[in-house]
Amino acid sequence: MEVLRNVTRHKLRSFLTISGIVIGVLALTTMGALAENFNALLDGGVTYFGSNIQVGPPDGQSASLLPISKIDEIKQIDGVAAAFASYGFSAKPGQITAVSFGIPDTIVAGDPAENNWAALKTTFAQGHQLDASSTGQVVLGSTIDKEFAKKIGDTIDLPVKPSDAKPDFVNHAFTVVGILNPTRTAPDTFAYINVADGQTLLKDSLPVAIRDQIDVSKITEAINVYGKPGTSLSDLDKIADRINAQVPGVKAVRPSQLVNSFKSGGAIFTAITTAAALLALIIGGLSVVNTMFMAVAERVREIGLKKAVGATTFNIMGEFLVEATLIGIVGGVVGYGLGALITIIANATTPPGQSTLFLVTPNLTILAIGFATVLGAVAGVLPAWRAARLDPVTALRNE
Amino acid sequence: MANVRLVNLTKQYKRGAEVIHALDDVTLDIEKGEFVAVVGRSGSGKTTMLDLMGLLLRPTSGSLFIDDIDTSKLGDRQLAQMRARRVGFVFQEYNLLSGLNVLENVMLPLRYVKDGRKRGAPRAVELIERVGLSDRVRHRPTELSGGQAQRVAIARSMVNSPSLILLDEPTGAVDTETAQQLVDLLKRLNQEDRVTIVIVTHDLDIAGQASRQIRLKDGRVLTDERVGAAGAGSLGVPVA
Repeated sequence: MEVLRNVTRHKLRSFLTISGIVIGVLALTTMGALAENFNALLDGGVTYFGSNIQVGPPDGQSASLLPISKIDEIKQIDGVAAAFASYGFSAKPGQITAVSFGIPDTIVAGDPAENNWAALKTTFAQGHQLDASSTGQVVLGSTIDKEFAKKIGDTIDLPVKPSDAKPDFVNHAFTVVGILNPTRTAPDTFAYINVADGQTLLKDSLPVAIRDQIDVSKITEAINVYGKPGTSLSDLDKIADRINAQVPGVKAVRPSQLVNSFKSGGAIFTAITTAAALLALIIGGLSVVNTMFMAVAERVREIGLKKAVGATTFNIMGEFLVEATLIGIVGGVVGYGLGALITIIANATTPPGQSTLFLVTPNLTILAIGFATVLGAVAGVLPAWRAARLDPVTALRNE
Repeated sequence: MANVRLVNLTKQYKRGAEVIHALDDVTLDIEKGEFVAVVGRSGSGKTTMLDLMGLLLRPTSGSLFIDDIDTSKLGDRQLAQMRARRVGFVFQEYNLLSGLNVLENVMLPLRYVKDGRKRGAPRAVELIERVGLSDRVRHRPTELSGGQAQRVAIARSMVNSPSLILLDEPTGAVDTETAQQLVDLLKRLNQEDRVTIVIVTHDLDIAGQASRQIRLKDGRVLTDERVGAAGAGSLGVPVA
C-alpha cells in the first residue's frame, strides 16, 4: 500500500513517467507484432521449403519450362520418395503493388496428393480437397476467399481479368470446392487447381506464335521433390546434389539455401523493428531513473528515519526497487494493452484480400510486459542504491 | 548489568586538515531503567554521543556495549537489527511519515523485525492508547498538533519494546506546557516499563527532572550527577 501511495504521491510526475514506458511498450508491441506477422510468413516458407527440393530449369534458361518426363528421371535418384509437377501463375496479372507485407494472390497447380508429403499442412474450413481427376475446381486460401467473397459452389474466373485487359485476355471459370483455414503464410493467398487446369493456364500464357507448337501436357514449370518422411535438411541437400549430378537439364536448389535465406530475412526485419521499439522503451526507462532520483532526493529524511528504526541497506533498496518495478509493470501493461488494441483495430480494418499486418503472440506479450518490468527494476537500481547508501545521521538532519 | 556501557569512546571528524574531537575518550555506564539527561552547549558532543549510542555512527575508537553486546564487533545488518530491537529514537522534528496515519507510523519499526507486524499490532494500539491518542489512530501527521506528533514518535520508539530510548531535543519544537506533558509521559513510561531513557536537551528544567544528568563539554564528560528524588551526588566523574 505504501508503495502505491508513494507512486501516486506526485500524480502528474508519475503519470508522465509511466507515459514514457507506455509509449515505449506500445512501440514494442506494434513493431513486434509486425515482426511476428512477417516471421510467421517466413516460418511458413522455412517449413515448406525445408521439406522438399525445388527443381527448375538449369541456370541460363529464361523460360521456366521443363519436360514432365524429368519427374520419372528424378524419381530414380537415391533418396527420392516422390516428385510432383508444379505450376504457378499470378492470380491478378497486371496488378502493381508498390509495398506489400504479404504474398501476392497466386494460382498454384499441382497434384492434390502432394499435400500428404508437404510439411506445411493445410486444413479445410469448408468443402474438400480437389478431386484428382477433375477439372474446373478450385480450393481457395482464406485471404483470397475473403477478397472475392466466395463460398462453396460459387464460381471464380481465374486469372482475374484486369480492368485494362486486352480483348484477347483469356481466363476460365472455376468452381470453389474447398476453402482453407488461415495459415498466416503462403497458402492464404493461393488458389489451388489441378495439374490439367494448370497446363491449360500455361498454354494460355505462352506467346501466340508458339502456343500451338508446344504440348503442354508434357511440360511443367517446376518439380517439387520429396524424400521419405523425416528426411533431414542436410539429407535433402545431398539428394539435391545427386539430382544436379545425375539428371541433365534441371537445376535442383539445395533446401538449406532457401531456408537460410528466409531465416536471415526474418532476422534482419526483426532486428530493425525491435531495435527501434527498444530504443523508444529505453528512453522511457531513463525517465524512470530520473523520477526515482527525484523521489530519493525528496525522501532523504524518510530514508534516514527508516534506517534509524532498523531498516537495512537491502530493505531501503528493496522499497525503491519495488516502486520502480511497479512503474514498469503499470507502464508495460497499459502500453501492451494499447498496442494490442491498435493491432486488433488495424487488422480488423484491413481491406478483404490484403494480408493483415500484425500478429500478437504469447511470446510478444511476455516480451513486452516482461521487458517493461525488468526495465523498471533496472532503472530503479542506481537511485535505490544511492538511497540505501545514505548516511542515516546526515539524512535525518537533512533540511 | 549496565544497559549501556561506553568504554573510552571516541569519535573524530576531519574537516580539511583539522581533526574535530566530537567525543573524546568517554567512559560511563547507564543502568537499566535510568532516566538520563545529557546537557551541554552546542558542539559539546551531545548529539554525537546519542548517535553513537543509537548505533547510527561508528566510533573512531573505544567500545560501546548495549545489553552487554559489544557493538563494535557487529556488521551493518546486525547493527540494523540492534537498532530495530533494542533502541528507540525520538527526534526534535518528530520525523513522522506524512503518507502514513498514526497507527501506521507507530508500526513502522515492526517492518524490520521478523514477524513484527503480526506480533506488534496489538502493542502499537496499546501504546497509542497509553500516549493518549486513541481518538487519532487514523489521522495523518498533518492533522496533529506538535505535542500529539511527538507522542506518536514516542509510541513509535517503544513499539518493539526496546531497552533504550534515545531522544534528541524532543521538546525543542513545542511550547513549555506541552514540553512538560511530554516529560511527564516519558517519566511514566520509564517507571512503568523500566525502559532506559537518554534525553539530549538544552532545557535545564527538563534536565532537572531526570534521575541523572551528564554534562558534556568539548566532547568530554564535565559532570555526571544523580539529581532529583532518586538521590543526588556525583558518580565520581571529575569536574573539569
